[in-house]
Amino acid sequence: MNTPRKPDDDLDRLLADDGGELGALYRRLPRMEPPRRLDRNVLGEAARAIHGRPPRRQRWMVGLGSAAGIVLAAGVAWHVGQDALHQQSYEPARSAPTYVPVQPLDESARRKHDNAPAATDAMAPPPAPAPAAPAAAAPMEFQHRRSAPPVDKAKKEVAPAAQSAPPPMAAAAPPPPPAVSTPSEPFSSADKSAAATSTDAEAKGNLAGSAAREQESGRSEEAANASLAAPKPARSTTGPAPTSSAELRRDMQLAPEDWLAHIQQLLRQGRRQQAIESLQLFRRAHPDWQLSDELRALSE
Amino acid sequence: MGEPKTDEELMLAYAGGDLLAFEMLYRRHRGMLYRFLLRNLRQRADADELFQETWSRLIAARERYRPEAKFTTWLLQIAHNLVIDRFRRQRPQASAEETETVLRNLDAPESEQPERSLSEFEQRRRLQLALEELPEEQRVAFLLRIEGGLGLDEIGEITGAGRETVKSRLRYALARIRARFAK
Repeated sequence: MNTPRKPDDDLDRLLADDGGELGALYRRLPRMEPPRRLDRNVLGEAARAIHGRPPRRQRWMVGLGSAAGIVLAAGVAWHVGQDALHQQSYEPARSAPTYVPVQPLDESARRKHDNAPAATDAMAPPPAPAPAAPAAAAPMEFQHRRSAPPVDKAKKEVAPAAQSAPPPMAAAAPPPPPAVSTPSEPFSSADKSAAATSTDAEAKGNLAGSAAREQESGRSEEAANASLAAPKPARSTTGPAPTSSAELRRDMQLAPEDWLAHIQQLLRQGRRQQAIESLQLFRRAHPDWQLSDELRALSE
Repeated sequence: MGEPKTDEELMLAYAGGDLLAFEMLYRRHRGMLYRFLLRNLRQRADADELFQETWSRLIAARERYRPEAKFTTWLLQIAHNLVIDRFRRQRPQASAEETETVLRNLDAPESEQPERSLSEFEQRRRLQLALEELPEEQRVAFLLRIEGGLGLDEIGEITGAGRETVKSRLRYALARIRARFAK
């Protein structure tokens, strides 16, 4: 190869059938072959093209996408649930969760209020505004239901809430401790008069009950001032307080058997109103669930 | 068994749904195509990728194939287009040292005698390095000729160059290769 040659001679040799000397040398270079996985891929693709099926890679990607979507959705749902529990249990003052007003089911009390003379409305204490930090009150209220705290403690927790919150939040206010937890609490005249007012704002009435109790004890001037700004008078609730939506939401996260066990526990603890509300929610969530006679009677 | 079918017949048979025809066609040209790509791209990963892509495009276009076009020309046309696209991305190419490393890792033929192997190895190494050093257009033309077995007109058809241009590129390529052997 060191001998000088004419370029066209080399070209002619290259264009010969055997490629000439250079062609022979080239053929002695390693004869690399494609790896077998490429053979499988190509032949598989050729077969799929003939049979009109999409490439496996695409189906795999669809499957992966679906799985990823499910995992993402489950993760978001779990995270939201965890946040709700976390806020409810450990971070009461950081944010203001929205509470769905739950109507008390005490029908006798409702009828009593409905039949009361309208003239007593003027005597009813105005409802207390919503708490400034309902999140702070709600978890405490939840704990009170569990441990049946003294009434004074419950009042202390409600009183600061009544100081500065705007009226529109009244419907979302946490309820006072249920009456069953404080059976010895005397009703004041304010409570009695408040019980005769209209029933169009029952949630506000819950706060009104709190305010009335504060007036009764003469310790809540702020609550009285705040009540002046309330748009409507509302009745005081003498019956058990409704269950907070946070608590009901917590119940909904239980397995059906655990949920029913929780309801039974509430009954054993004498928290009948809360048990009824939770049971009614249970029936909506699990309409086909066979209830025991006791629970069926309770829910009806 | 009848006479072996031509590439064009096999391709038409595959377009009509004969998978065995494709397998025969593939066996005939897989090595040539792979070497053409590897010697142009110099990296196995790139060669693997474009090898599969070339066949994928051929499969996708099987119903548009017309026997007027020589199958090898068509196949190398697809591969050449992919190579040019890859070149245009200006990806850094393997250095001469990397190329030499690849060559060292390749097994030498068992029939080589010890006293010959060094000189043959040196010749192969020089040829390989010479190919690496060729300008892109010259290397493509040389490989289309020597690996694909294409003539001047077919190379011109694939590369879009005239016959004389192809001849010129081949001449320059041969001169550079000769210069590498003269060092």
